[in-house]
Amino acid sequence: MHLSPTAFPWLTSILFCCLGGLFTILLLPRHRHQEIKWVGALFSGLTLVLTLNLFLLYDQRLGGLQFVERLAWIPSLGITYFNGVDGFSLPMLLLSGIVFFTAVLTMWELEQRVKEFFALLFLLVTGVFGLFMSLDLFFIFVWYDVSLFPMYLLIAIWGSTRKEYGAMKLTLYLLAGSALILPGIVYLVVQSGLQTFDLTALMRPDLFTPFEQKLGFFLFYIGFGILAGVWPFHTWSPVGHVAAPTAVSMVHAGVLMKIGAFGVLRLGIFLCPLGWLYWAPLMALLATVGIVYGVLAGLRQTDIKYVIGYSSVSHMGIVGLGLATVSVEGLNGAVFQMFAHGIMTALFFSAVGYIYDRTHTKALDELGGLSHTMPVASGYLVMAALTGIGVPCLASFWAELTVFIAAFRVYPLYATLAVAALVVSALFMLRVLQRTCYGPPNERLAHLGDVSFGLGLPRMILVAVILLFGLFPALMFELIQTASIPLLNGLPR
Amino acid sequence: MNAIIFSPELWMLAIAGVFLIRAMIPPNAARDYQIALVMATLAVGVCLAALGFSGNLFAGTYRIDLFSQCYKCLLSTGLFLVVCLCNNLRGIRTGLQPEFYLLLAVSTLAMMMLVSSAHLLTIYMALELSSYSLYILVALGRDRDLAIRAGIKYFLVGASASAVMLFGMAMVYGAAGTAYLGELARVLPPLLERPSAAIGLLLILGGFFFKLAVFPFHFWAPVVYAGAANQVAAYIATVSKVAAVAILIRVAAMGSSTYMVHVLAILSIVSMTVGNLAAIAQKDLKRLLAYSSVAHGGYVLIGILSMDAAGYAAATFYALAVLVMKFTCFMVVIKVAGDGGNPAIADLAGLHRRAPLLAMALMMALFGLAGIPPTIGFTGKLLLFTAAMTQGHLALILIAMINVVISLYYYLHVLRAAYLLEPVDNAARVYRETVPIKVMSVVMIAAMVILGIYPQQLIQLINQAVGL
Repeated sequence: MHLSPTAFPWLTSILFCCLGGLFTILLLPRHRHQEIKWVGALFSGLTLVLTLNLFLLYDQRLGGLQFVERLAWIPSLGITYFNGVDGFSLPMLLLSGIVFFTAVLTMWELEQRVKEFFALLFLLVTGVFGLFMSLDLFFIFVWYDVSLFPMYLLIAIWGSTRKEYGAMKLTLYLLAGSALILPGIVYLVVQSGLQTFDLTALMRPDLFTPFEQKLGFFLFYIGFGILAGVWPFHTWSPVGHVAAPTAVSMVHAGVLMKIGAFGVLRLGIFLCPLGWLYWAPLMALLATVGIVYGVLAGLRQTDIKYVIGYSSVSHMGIVGLGLATVSVEGLNGAVFQMFAHGIMTALFFSAVGYIYDRTHTKALDELGGLSHTMPVASGYLVMAALTGIGVPCLASFWAELTVFIAAFRVYPLYATLAVAALVVSALFMLRVLQRTCYGPPNERLAHLGDVSFGLGLPRMILVAVILLFGLFPALMFELIQTASIPLLNGLPR
Repeated sequence: MNAIIFSPELWMLAIAGVFLIRAMIPPNAARDYQIALVMATLAVGVCLAALGFSGNLFAGTYRIDLFSQCYKCLLSTGLFLVVCLCNNLRGIRTGLQPEFYLLLAVSTLAMMMLVSSAHLLTIYMALELSSYSLYILVALGRDRDLAIRAGIKYFLVGASASAVMLFGMAMVYGAAGTAYLGELARVLPPLLERPSAAIGLLLILGGFFFKLAVFPFHFWAPVVYAGAANQVAAYIATVSKVAAVAILIRVAAMGSSTYMVHVLAILSIVSMTVGNLAAIAQKDLKRLLAYSSVAHGGYVLIGILSMDAAGYAAATFYALAVLVMKFTCFMVVIKVAGDGGNPAIADLAGLHRRAPLLAMALMMALFGLAGIPPTIGFTGKLLLFTAAMTQGHLALILIAMINVVISLYYYLHVLRAAYLLEPVDNAARVYRETVPIKVMSVVMIAAMVILGIYPQQLIQLINQAVGL
């Protein structure tokens, strides 16, 4: 271990926490549903505490990589077990911790094949955490696929609405992405001639020729872009999110789509900065099309989860636009948007999941008047929608604002289009609220109870996080800046 | 002659002898199984003990080195695993159990000789010996019509492949004037400019392509897998592939020319594409596995056409990976088809409830075959791709990855049957997990995952074996 013996391996302990939960669940008998859920809550709560702890312990004045752990893994291939966090990955770890814990709580009422569900969820989240903290290309790819392959079963077994189709489509799309990422990794590792998968070693400037950087960035951009819902590779996302069970939608839209954007940042931008500069106009174009398209498609949907799915495409477009500006503000905004959107969609899917579990419908036409019968449940939905619109004092607002400011400097036309689309998105979000929560009381739904305190807990946590970072955005911006400013200063111009 | 370095082969011969005698006395299937299991276990031990031996035998036509001994360990492990599944040999015609073990032992013996061969004639003899045992093994299947048809088809394709190979050997011998592999490796590369030598070498490789079920010698695979008893199909899919990879490495090393690389690259691409596309349409689990074997033959060729030690090491690692993963799949086939028949994919329905550990092993094996981490299949593919990239074959890697995505589609269909479909109540298909199967499932899962994420020692051993 390449660290002082006093330093506690915080990052590895997060992974062990997830794996500990996984194996504990596997060892429990399958009919002990209650115990399995408590174990799930315990271990996911512990990971949340650990990530919060990291967030507080990270020294922002120092910046750079911290909590580094390094262990020779397969020396003959140059593979090291190498973890560390910086201002980009720390928000993502915090996001994963929050979404994971709230997702487990959201599934408290699950009765079907409980043991397998939580085991697969823990496996998926292990991959997510591993990916955000890893700095070795081999492990990044391993974690990437570990976070994808439980997805098929999670959606196909516990999902709804065309679940097998959605699951197959999602899995094939995302694996098609990895079909570009793996050659990209192998290509760069071999071309470097360094016999190492260590990301920091490969970041040396001028290691790769401009052509290699362009090709490498393209492979990573498309490969991870599929996961990030970049238009025109987004089609798996609404279908998959609609089909998935609530917790999986939360983790998937909340965290997994961020893996895509994070992968573009960590692999594409870190390793191939020249490729980034070269392809930035294309990124901006696709991102803008995604923003506009997501909003327009969302307008026509009749299923709430489809609406959220398309709004995700649009919001992830904002992340892409931020990355494409090649500026400190753009990067700050993009990473903040990844965080804010993750919390926002998690809240959205969580709120919808509760309503769906009661009413057994997601169709806008069949709902309505929910605010009479379930005032608290619809309150959460309203909160999520307002965040999605980008109302000031909620987390998304600051992220979107920063991205748009950066974008107006570089791509005025695209930025105008994106802002215009955002106005339309307010229209469709409000339309959803109007159709579901307001209107005359619905006779068929009158007998349904409201959210109890215990079941509402995950949504309360999410709302609190949205408010906290909406009122004090500096908490996040200052952290992200410790990574974005050095990155931009190191760019070859 | 130094007999001790020949001990793995002698032990195999002893197994064959024991079952030759048992074939002459009144049959007792349970006793046959016990004897076979003990002797196969010991065979693994003998091979491990012989790992460090080296030397030459039979006037230099037979070479024993770390490479061959590693492969012998793999072969005996494969034999042991297959024998483990033979407690219920309903797929073999009754009364023929001793012959089954006899031929299994002879075939393994022949493959051990194949991996040690250092002369074209030894190669030919060993290859024929193993093939003939397999032809008969296939024809021993319970469904007489189907089995004999499969056996005849296997024999006809095999006989033509070996005729082609013999012709190629004659041409190479004519061009180079020697049949020792060691000398050929020195003499042949400059001669490859001449069509006779190049074509001769290609024809020789054709004989091994038949074993590996690589295009254009893959037609036998689905018929034979479906017609043979499940245990025999498992043996062909695992052990015989390992032997084919070993000898391909030995022989391909002689032909490092651009022309050869191009030919191998095309065969590799066609093989994986044909295999994967054909597998999509299959309803029968064994036929699906047969076509996936064709595709995996294509992947292995990627390592071989890299024509350097890293590529050979990758191919060797991948052969081991395929052995473990395919064996796990066949374990499921054998357990699901309790009566020894051919299970359809739909027969896996409800496996997750009847046998959760077996279902989990199947899941890991399928993801491994699709090359998804953290399984051994992914690490194998990573090694293959890294080796190929070092030689600059980026396009080949991209095509291979597209194929991986295609293959994932049908692997997911199998997984769907095991995890999503609910069982139709059918007394013949009811199967409960027994303790040995639980243990084997756990061992296979552990092997796939541990060798997948922490292969350091294994890679070192293989690198030594191929002389890296």
